Amino acid sequence: MIVGILTDWFRRSNKSERLWLLAKIEFKLRYYENKLGLLWALIKPLMDIAIYYVVFQVIMKQNIPAFASYLFIGLILWNFFIESTGGTIQILHSKKYLYEYSNMNKLEIYVSTLLSNSIGFFFNFVMFLLFFNFLEKGDAHTTIQTIWILPLFINIYILSLAISLILSNIYIIAKDITQVWTVFTSFLFFLSPIFYKLDTFKESLPNFDYLNPLAGIIINARKVTMEGTHPDPKLFVFDFAYAIIFLMIGLFLLNKLGSKAAEKL
Amino acid sequence: MTKALAIQAKGISKTFHISEDSHNTVKHRLFNLFNPPRSKKVEAIKTMDFDVYKGECVGLLGRNGCGKSTLIRLLAGVFPSDTGQINIYGNTLLMNLGVGMSHQLTARENIYVSASVLGLKIKEIDSIFDQIVEFAELREFIDTKIKYFSSGMVARLGFSIAVNAGADIMFLDEIFAVGDMKFQEKAVKVFESSWIEGKTVILVSHTMEVIRKYCSRTAFMKNGSLVFFGDTEEAIQMYVEDNH
Repeated sequence: MIVGILTDWFRRSNKSERLWLLAKIEFKLRYYENKLGLLWALIKPLMDIAIYYVVFQVIMKQNIPAFASYLFIGLILWNFFIESTGGTIQILHSKKYLYEYSNMNKLEIYVSTLLSNSIGFFFNFVMFLLFFNFLEKGDAHTTIQTIWILPLFINIYILSLAISLILSNIYIIAKDITQVWTVFTSFLFFLSPIFYKLDTFKESLPNFDYLNPLAGIIINARKVTMEGTHPDPKLFVFDFAYAIIFLMIGLFLLNKLGSKAAEKL
Repeated sequence: MTKALAIQAKGISKTFHISEDSHNTVKHRLFNLFNPPRSKKVEAIKTMDFDVYKGECVGLLGRNGCGKSTLIRLLAGVFPSDTGQINIYGNTLLMNLGVGMSHQLTARENIYVSASVLGLKIKEIDSIFDQIVEFAELREFIDTKIKYFSSGMVARLGFSIAVNAGADIMFLDEIFAVGDMKFQEKAVKVFESSWIEGKTVILVSHTMEVIRKYCSRTAFMKNGSLVFFGDTEEAIQMYVEDNH
């Protein structure tokens, strides 16, 4: 089904052009409307890094090597997930003008918005590479294994798309999902190894990296970008399976509930 | 020779469940937490079947509230049908006061987004861009966000995009009510030119001359039912009688 949809998009080339056009406009709206512009995309994770660095390295003395980079890669993945899920709960409402006058496929709205977030992610990823290699004191440097970030990113993209589909379609029938998701994500944030030492995390929550797909992606992203090793294959397969299963649920909901968006929202 | 289908509707119907929110205060809401508001059923479209063929201009008549707008939303694929099946062969454009536009975007961006949604490639939009701007008479405001436009300016832009970009199947709901008198004259002229040639058009209007002039077949609706679908004169006659 997904392959069919994608083939259809690229065969009728207007759809791929439209996706890129919508993504560019979304990106412009998000960053160029503010005084700080794209700089904000960088300032946000840097501020977060500063806060967590003081708390976990200076005060709590976790002694994680290259801790700022450790936080940096974790936070940009986390921020991409949060912006693409929590930030899109009301997408069918805010982008109603795109589908209430035409039979446009609603899935395109999601794909383009996440594409726009991807531009922000890759901008930050380049900043991470510069920071890790030139600013952070340490022996480790970027290796060829970093290329694994692409499949890992595809994984988090599909996962975010899936969760975005699920949440925004539930929003049509239950607006309270916004508050529920806010509470859930603050819980998830503390259950993901963003600022903890990995050994402490695994010791306290054994096998939890297999239950929380975001934890697996962050662990693997650190392996490939900072440790210069390939990702843990078992975690990698698990996380992709999660993303695909959630995507199926999301597409089902889009078909069932999303078709009523024009009349309910 | 059999005519190619543009829209095929089989056993379609639509019922709205409208909730009556009588819990107006916080106190009332709290005391009625497990007593949800009543909901009312409104049968907007009663079961109907019909076909629309490629290239024909079909009229849709009926008094206010008879279900015309709901029907065209079903046929345009904007609303799902509760029962039956609708097959739409091509991309659709539902136009009442223009097309859908974002008030956060500039006129230029809206032109590109809307025309792209209607199925045009960027190069095709580039080639009709000036036409759209000239027709809408908005040259000097092209890079202004449309939230600063007057409602007439927004309507003109929407109309101009729809006219120049078009779609395979177009639903035109009272489109001659857009803009000032000068713009309305322009709109009529466009309609009389070759704009709708080769396109499938479903035209909703309360102006009998328009229906009579352009529609080969016309449907007449009453209280959500399709009472008649066929000869335009006969449909107009039924509509006129219904108004008396």
